[in-house]
Amino acid sequence: MDNITTRFEQCLRRHLRLVKPDSVDYAVELVQLGLDLMTAVAILLDMEKTFDIRFPGDMLVEGTFRTAGRLKGAVQLLRERQAS
Amino acid sequence: MTRPLPDQSLGVEWTILELLARGIVDDLERQMVRDLLLADTLNWGELLEQALRHKMLPMLAHQIISAGLRFDVPMSIYMHLESVLEWNRCQIEVFRRETVRVAQGLAERGIQFVVTKGMTFESTLYESLGTRHMNDIDFMVTPKDREAVLSVMQELGFRPFFEWAKDARREEISSRLNRDHLPKLAREIDQPGTRIINVDVANSLTWTKSPFDVPVEEALEEPVEQPVPGTPGGSVPCFRPIYQFLFTVLHLFREAWLQKFVDFGSDVSLMKFGDVIRLLDRNRNELTDGGLLRTTEAHSVTHAVAWVLRQLDETFHTHTLQLLALEKHGDERLLGSQMQSSGYVRTSGQSMRERLQSKDRGSARPVAPGHSALLG
Repeated sequence: MDNITTRFEQCLRRHLRLVKPDSVDYAVELVQLGLDLMTAVAILLDMEKTFDIRFPGDMLVEGTFRTAGRLKGAVQLLRERQAS
Repeated sequence: MTRPLPDQSLGVEWTILELLARGIVDDLERQMVRDLLLADTLNWGELLEQALRHKMLPMLAHQIISAGLRFDVPMSIYMHLESVLEWNRCQIEVFRRETVRVAQGLAERGIQFVVTKGMTFESTLYESLGTRHMNDIDFMVTPKDREAVLSVMQELGFRPFFEWAKDARREEISSRLNRDHLPKLAREIDQPGTRIINVDVANSLTWTKSPFDVPVEEALEEPVEQPVPGTPGGSVPCFRPIYQFLFTVLHLFREAWLQKFVDFGSDVSLMKFGDVIRLLDRNRNELTDGGLLRTTEAHSVTHAVAWVLRQLDETFHTHTLQLLALEKHGDERLLGSQMQSSGYVRTSGQSMRERLQSKDRGSARPVAPGHSALLG
């Protein structure tokens, strides 16, 4: 498991208590794991802090965090952009 | 509406504010406020603090000045209250001009909208006396016009403004995800006393993922044109009375019911309850002809509306539930199941009246079992 996965999943667990402790289902909609508007804000802020990234305005939409997979993809993209 | 005088069980100071909030309508009430202001037991510190908390300082100032109590009030307090009222009046004038300017900009682009809340209440429910406190200017538009409105506002010199919040980045993310409002907009102006004008544009009568809603498109139909005092020929569209009432009550419901508003320090205020009483007083015929009841039932907001009115009746000893034929509605358990995804402020047996007076509202507020603490 690479570093981003560990920290990404820790971040999710800090805010979504329904995320399983041993594995994260990257396809399930986060709403089903208890995500609401305020939790989404908290997760995005935590991701920004954890990975030293900043979500641009066009990524601050529901589609970015519909599933853990999408959110992780967004985080990776921003990290790559930042590195280049 | 029957208007029994308030009991004084929560103190002289609180009684004065309750009377002012609902509006002084006759000599008996006027005399009661005067007597209370002259009472030996009056604690000016408590009165000023509570008036400030409930955004009623200009209202209190106007009452004291118009009652001719200049030499009965401690001089330093009187002078300060005079300044408060003058400043509020200046700010309202600035807001009126800006409201007309923005309204013209939106109308020129063919955008359907109404002006809401303080700006419309000031000249109707508060008789243009300059006593209604306002933080910003509020508009309501339809969701389809969000981008067009943002474009007009930018042309008028406004920009998204997040610095007002303690955590600006949190506010920015929250604003962008929140689809019931545009991001808070602000414009800097060169005006003594008012450096920034804030505009709040909503596109929903309730909130994101609320279990109920009153369609904004329906509410914006056939708006009422309302003159804007001090702006020759200036007028703005406002909600018809039924929707004005529904929006005001549902807004109050949101602040009273959802924990997040307590956490954010924007819990309900006495002034907001006063708005509801004044709306009912002013529009009694339109609100009691059955149309309001049909609309609340059609949109499943009856329990929420009745819950607010129950709090109002228990606080002010009014009979609004009976007046609007909603006595059988507003059951808290039913409402709780309807609102199951939202954090509910449970006040441990505290009445709304006690909650309003309490200066420590953020504490001792467990969220009801089975309810998420966060807003969906």
